[in-house]
Amino acid sequence: MKVYIFILMGIILSFLESSLLSYIPAEFLKPDVTIPMIVYTTFFLNTGAGLIVSVIMGVIQEILSASPDGSMIFLKVLIFLLTLFFKNKLFIDSKYSFSYVCAGAVVCESLIYAFLSWIAKGESRHIENILFFMLPNAVFTGFLAIFIFSFVGFLNMKFFSKD
Amino acid sequence: MKAPLIVIISSILILVVSFFIFTGTPVFLKNYSKIKVFCGEIAGPALKIFGRPLDGIKYLFNTYINLVDTKKENNMLKKRIGELELENQKIHDLEEENKRLKSILKLTEKNPGNYTVARIIGEDVKNWFKCMIIDKGRDDGLKERMPVITPKGIVGQVVEVNKWHSKVMTIGDANSSVDVNVEGRETRGILEGTDHNVLRLKYITKNDEIEVGDKLVTSGKDGIYPKGIPAGIVIAVNKNKAGIFYDIEVMPYNNFKRLDEVIVIKRR
Repeated sequence: MKVYIFILMGIILSFLESSLLSYIPAEFLKPDVTIPMIVYTTFFLNTGAGLIVSVIMGVIQEILSASPDGSMIFLKVLIFLLTLFFKNKLFIDSKYSFSYVCAGAVVCESLIYAFLSWIAKGESRHIENILFFMLPNAVFTGFLAIFIFSFVGFLNMKFFSKD
Repeated sequence: MKAPLIVIISSILILVVSFFIFTGTPVFLKNYSKIKVFCGEIAGPALKIFGRPLDGIKYLFNTYINLVDTKKENNMLKKRIGELELENQKIHDLEEENKRLKSILKLTEKNPGNYTVARIIGEDVKNWFKCMIIDKGRDDGLKERMPVITPKGIVGQVVEVNKWHSKVMTIGDANSSVDVNVEGRETRGILEGTDHNVLRLKYITKNDEIEVGDKLVTSGKDGIYPKGIPAGIVIAVNKNKAGIFYDIEVMPYNNFKRLDEVIVIKRR
């Protein structure tokens, strides 16, 4: 049940980001709304759920962006694997530590994509842009993660406390 | 708690397949395209629904935030004046929209079958790419590589077409190149996106004539954009750059973040 809620939340936030945030002229106001979903499901739900959420979020981002086919799924699954690797090494005890992990995941995602762009022909022109937006994206995703963590906590208290 | 082996194996498998899709391996790419088209067709109507409140948000930005500024400037502003200002703003918005739509109509009336007016319903969720999503797709006769313009000038080209919506790569994207002429001169160059607001005009040799303020129009030689569409205005020419070419910056006529409607030229 929780997995479906995360998937739905990720889809709704992505669509809102694409349609509503387009009016805000600031280019750096583009948090990666899918990262908190992936990190949360991998850390707090089962690993299978994390993989499913990663793949679906990757597909959604590809539909809503001009990224090359397969690139977003690759990135999201890689972030999922990295999160899985750090699951027993990092300890998320508050919304702030969750926020730091999400911001770190965005930095990793940007660096991995920049590296992929560098090795893939034709996409190398975006490297400068990816690196330019890496930190603003990480900061805004971190902020968003605080609210998402609080909202999920509220949902857990209200609806899933008996689970 | 250890992660189940099957999940790790599955994710590594997905990773490998997606890497092959990313690098353009035909077998993987073909099958993935079908899945993506199917998902895109479901996403189209959803985007339109999510885009509906856009008008409300736009109205809020144009009115409420202006009102806050006005309040700061003049603390004596009364409620009645505020209401009147809101109404005035509404009328002003309507006038602006009317003006915009009239100019689009003027352009499309010349060759009605060749143009499709589309509304922007979203933009790229990643700020790494400069792309926008329009509410017209395959059902409206749109195809890839069709040029997209506004009465002011060039916007970009259609790069992906779904049943109900399409993606447009703007000329600001780093992967975009447009063959342009300098209006009133014999100079020709390639206008490239930089992923930022300013574009770069390339391959203008130091023998060519070009000055700040020169207007650029499409040459029609790139096989995508028709001849004579305004592309931008030269804002900086660095003549001291080493090498045989000038370093030229160009400002496009359109602000891609503020577009509401665009025109797709269907004739190819």
